Amino acid sequence: MTIKLKVAFCFLLLCQLISAQKDSITSLKEVYVSDKNLKKYSSTQSVLKLTDSIINKNEALLTDLLNFNSTLYFKEYGRGMLSTVSFRGTTSSQTAVIWNGININSQMNGSTDFNTISGSDYNSVSIKAGGGSVIYGSGAIGGTVHLNNDLLFINSFENNLKLDYGSFNTIGINYKTSISNKKWSTQIGFSKNSSTNDYKYLDRYTWRGEQRWNQNGKYDIITLNANVGYKINDNHIVKLYSQTSNTDRNTSLITETDTKSKYINGFNRNLLEYDGNFGKLKTNFKTAYIFENYQYFSNINSKNYTYGKTENLITKLDLDYTLFKSTQINGIVDYSRTNGYGSGFGSHVREISSASLLVKQDLGSNWKNELGIRKEFTDNYKSPLLFNFGSSYKFSDLYNLKLNISRNFRIPTYNDLYWETGGNPDLKPESSYQAEIGNVFTFKNITWTQHFYYIKIKDMLQWVPGPGGLWSPQNQDKVNSYGTETLLNWKKSYGKNNFALTATYAYTISEDDKTKKQIFFVPFHKATGAVSYSRNKINAYYQVLYNGFVYTTADNNADDIVNDYTISNIGIDYDFKFLDSSKLGFQVLNVFNKNYESLENRPMPGRNFNMYITLKF
Amino acid sequence: MKFSKLLLIALSISLFASCSSDDDDTPKGAYDNGFFILNEGSKSLGTISFSSNDLTSFTKNVYEKENGTDAVGGYLQNIFFSGDRAYIIAGGSNVINVVNRYTFKLIAKIDSGLVAPRYGVVKDGKAYVINAGEYSYENPATGDTDDYIAVINLSNNTVESKVALNSTANRVIEENGKLYITDAYNDKLLIYNIASKALETPVTIGYDGDSIEEEDGVIFILRKPYGGAGEIVKVKISDKSISRIALPSSIGDAGFMDIEDDKVYYTASNSVYSISTTATTAATAALFASDASYVYGFTVKDNRIYIADAKFGADSKAFIYNLSGVLQKELVTGAGSNGFYFND
Repeated sequence: MTIKLKVAFCFLLLCQLISAQKDSITSLKEVYVSDKNLKKYSSTQSVLKLTDSIINKNEALLTDLLNFNSTLYFKEYGRGMLSTVSFRGTTSSQTAVIWNGININSQMNGSTDFNTISGSDYNSVSIKAGGGSVIYGSGAIGGTVHLNNDLLFINSFENNLKLDYGSFNTIGINYKTSISNKKWSTQIGFSKNSSTNDYKYLDRYTWRGEQRWNQNGKYDIITLNANVGYKINDNHIVKLYSQTSNTDRNTSLITETDTKSKYINGFNRNLLEYDGNFGKLKTNFKTAYIFENYQYFSNINSKNYTYGKTENLITKLDLDYTLFKSTQINGIVDYSRTNGYGSGFGSHVREISSASLLVKQDLGSNWKNELGIRKEFTDNYKSPLLFNFGSSYKFSDLYNLKLNISRNFRIPTYNDLYWETGGNPDLKPESSYQAEIGNVFTFKNITWTQHFYYIKIKDMLQWVPGPGGLWSPQNQDKVNSYGTETLLNWKKSYGKNNFALTATYAYTISEDDKTKKQIFFVPFHKATGAVSYSRNKINAYYQVLYNGFVYTTADNNADDIVNDYTISNIGIDYDFKFLDSSKLGFQVLNVFNKNYESLENRPMPGRNFNMYITLKF
Repeated sequence: MKFSKLLLIALSISLFASCSSDDDDTPKGAYDNGFFILNEGSKSLGTISFSSNDLTSFTKNVYEKENGTDAVGGYLQNIFFSGDRAYIIAGGSNVINVVNRYTFKLIAKIDSGLVAPRYGVVKDGKAYVINAGEYSYENPATGDTDDYIAVINLSNNTVESKVALNSTANRVIEENGKLYITDAYNDKLLIYNIASKALETPVTIGYDGDSIEEEDGVIFILRKPYGGAGEIVKVKISDKSISRIALPSSIGDAGFMDIEDDKVYYTASNSVYSISTTATTAATAALFASDASYVYGFTVKDNRIYIADAKFGADSKAFIYNLSGVLQKELVTGAGSNGFYFND
């Protein structure tokens, strides 16, 4: 009894302490991940996995989680507003977001808004740096962000409820239930995050002397998840993942007299998956239907709106053959058909097929090689032959060296191809070559990962004014990005006192090949740090984020910058040990009341508070 | 002793007198004797640059320099002057910023009664500002008919009345108590009589009418159809009769037009042309080809030709030429430079 309790307790602590930066977690045999290739084909690149314990320490929306825990840079149009990413100095459509193995970047604009996603809807969020187009397709140039739901086949019934209440009427409701036995596994989740978001702008007053505040900034994001798995027997499993979300957001004003507008967007994703094991041959068959739409009301008092929607049907067959004990081959074919229609681009169908071949070779336990090629077939654009080659060699327990080179791409979006008027149907995809060297040092409780990369991107898609002032996209500039990323991870226990420390740092040069100037909205420096301490039922943590300055124009004019900023959060929670676990937590965000902006004239909130209750039963 | 005191008084008087007479030539502020360059910027934020007339001093962002973090608003469209005040129209933000034209310090904002304001003129203490209202892509039902003139009382900076135009509207000039209004999306020259507060019968000139100028009783309008040949339309104010000067399509899309010293200057593609105000045919050759890649603003004044070469997401440029096309100065301005406004 006591031993059992102790074990359980240790496990609980461990959960809290399992820190962000790990190449992989211990995989239980009963856990079935939706995206097998993420684990299988990532040994030569860096993957940062954020689990529950990290997700719960951050504000609900994904921007905050990734901003404080990874090297990704975000440009936020005010708190909770449109948020776009830059990974390794690339554009917002050069980072692919992958939901259970399926690329979900918008077909319309090519990118993902990280303030429309709530982190707690997933079991884990992983950030994979570097090229990944061979496996994940368009947009995997800077890197990929993976949102994964894992199904567990053990006898279990678990409920998780998290309630948040914070400044600016920020309310979070998150409920997850999982019911499973050895045959069935079901997860049902609901999340709702909303805020009136009417925070004061520090030290800003109107010409009449009134305090300025964030007007028209309210948001409300609701997501429903349902995932079901059925084990026909040990060798055949069927899984269904389903997710529906709606984001209803006003767009915060820069000046009080701006016309108030709002943006509603939503999606519905369904993925049916079959895993079959026939000895040396394993098959994975996926079919997915993804619907996405938006409505933009340029005036919230008017019923008129512009809109766009796409329906995307994807089928994918992945055959995995074990050639030798050390060598596995995956042959993947997929077909994707997108139906898009909108007030800006009419109605168009886009069909893309692709074939890829992946090889993985484990020479002993220390040397791993990966090789992949992919070719897409479509009438819409000329597609380059993509490839990926990587090697990882573990010299000792202390040092692991990784090498990876790849060719990746980003296809033109519906807006680029079909926008009326200006869309250019003759565009090429953006394409890149990438090379990186990774060094992983493991010493006692410390893991230090140091990656160096170089990305050469050509045919960057840019909207430029043509003759007569008509804007149209062109394959124009070349960009070279290079830099280094540091991930540091340390944990240690002294008796009942447990400490953990994680830190990330990115140094990024991303320059226009012609002008040699830094791409605007790419910081040279970004760093994050997190320290946590736990003892018995108490858990306390501190997070810090440093974001270097960014230029706001292509000219790199010293006057046109967003200043650097350092912001910190602190939090503490106490577990009352009621039910399985019942935590009451309190957080102070931007604890030093720093007056900062992520984008010029978009002030972010000063010191603010959040409290939460987490129940497990 | 007495005499010396008297002398002192006399001297000081003369000194004061000379001082006050000097005042007339002394600049009234940092931004006297120069010109502003309006940079429209984004929907929410633009900037304003300033250069002295002798082109020796330049300030890239005057408004921020003088008014700190106060946001001037976006899609800056036009500046008009009245007395010692300048009025900056921010179309994207539905506001007009009232500043001292010599110090550029903010005095007030006209921040109600405006919907997408475009261009304005002043007559007898009142400003007449064209408001585009909603656009048809935002509101198909009334977008093309909700444009109006906001009549602004400049003594208290409030919109005191609105004149519905039942049409689209954009640029405006004032001549002899009447407003003449053009817009590319309708084929009419609208005419509003300020005294009688009534719209007169419009003159049909054709679509794509944009730049508008008046000279010697004639309204000149540049029509600039996209991808087609441009045209200068001349409307005689007295009898509303029309004559037209066709521009050859070979010169590319027409851009802007200005009149200075009995000459009509116009742009097509990146070149500048000029003809006499009495000419009946287009120029046979360009005055010169400018260095601009995207002409977005154009003015001719005092033997100089000013061209804005707009960029968005990057700094624009302003090129200043003499009348024979010799570059006098190149200035690096803000995003989306679209106009020049002289402060003399």
